[in-house]
Amino acid sequence: MRSFILLLTVFISACGAPEPPLVVSELEITKPMPGMQMSAGFLMITNNTDETARITKVSSPQFEAVEIHETTISDGVSRMRELQALIVPARSSVVLERGGKHLMLMRARDLQDSVTLQFFNEDLPLLSVDYSFSKDERK
Amino acid sequence: MNPKRLIIAFALGLALAAGIFVALRTQVPSAPESALILPDPNPVPEFSLVDQHGTPVDQTVFTGQWDLVFFGFTHCPDICPTTLQVLAAAKAALHAQGQTPLPRIVLVSVDPERDTPELMKQYVGYFGDGNLGITGTLDELSKLTSGLGIYFEKRLSDGDNYSVDHSAAVLVINPDGGFSALFGGPHVVDNYVHDLPIVMGGS
Repeated sequence: MRSFILLLTVFISACGAPEPPLVVSELEITKPMPGMQMSAGFLMITNNTDETARITKVSSPQFEAVEIHETTISDGVSRMRELQALIVPARSSVVLERGGKHLMLMRARDLQDSVTLQFFNEDLPLLSVDYSFSKDERK
Repeated sequence: MNPKRLIIAFALGLALAAGIFVALRTQVPSAPESALILPDPNPVPEFSLVDQHGTPVDQTVFTGQWDLVFFGFTHCPDICPTTLQVLAAAKAALHAQGQTPLPRIVLVSVDPERDTPELMKQYVGYFGDGNLGITGTLDELSKLTSGLGIYFEKRLSDGDNYSVDHSAAVLVINPDGGFSALFGGPHVVDNYVHDLPIVMGGS
């Protein structure tokens, strides 16, 4: 039995840590403009599972409300609409970027250096990520 | 032919070729790549609004300098700051390469309900010195936008939230107060750096 456990441990170690189902990368949150209490969030979200991922809610302790928005420009007119869900197909990534899908973070409350974003499918927490303004070299 | 004349003719030909080469290399590009130049500048219509200091302004605020005019609003998190950043970066690049005159950047609010002069002052100031912010009443704003072919419409969402659909173009107003060119977007710094000297040099 002991050798079986040892073998199992070696096998698990060889496989490495399990891949997280959802990964957020390239996260950038803009600092609120002077006089404003609003930010935008840009990121890439990768679904490492074989199932479609649905993100229906994003929240942040540093903002009263977070919405998933999409900007489109057609016929020379810029339009911004709220999306009810962000769909990330299996084994794929979705990019939230300027001029496209993005997070709109509204009514900042006691905003300091960091922002935490929590992603949900309905009320099921999917993942949480932290962002630091001071560590972002793109500013 | 006399060898002396042959040498002179050769030298003259060489000088001519060199001159043509230098002229071709240094000539100012004459065609814009992105901007649409209006053959007949359209005068800015009459209006009465206020600037970011609360000072009344009318159509004459657009005379005396080149203006890059964008219609947006401060509660717009994406397109508006991105566009104003592009304009500010293009202006800085033109300044660095010695371009004169330099255009002024103007934001006309299509959300006067929320965009007070105080808010406009902080907002346009963020993108550099010398920028102009214009806001005021909806009726007066409509005089300006309709006269320039600019569309905007308030779109209600949940609760008190709303967004404003608006034209994404940047208008170029010449020092005579005439709408003379248009950048339709997508707004890219290099396009402005390339085209603005042509647009402003052609007045």
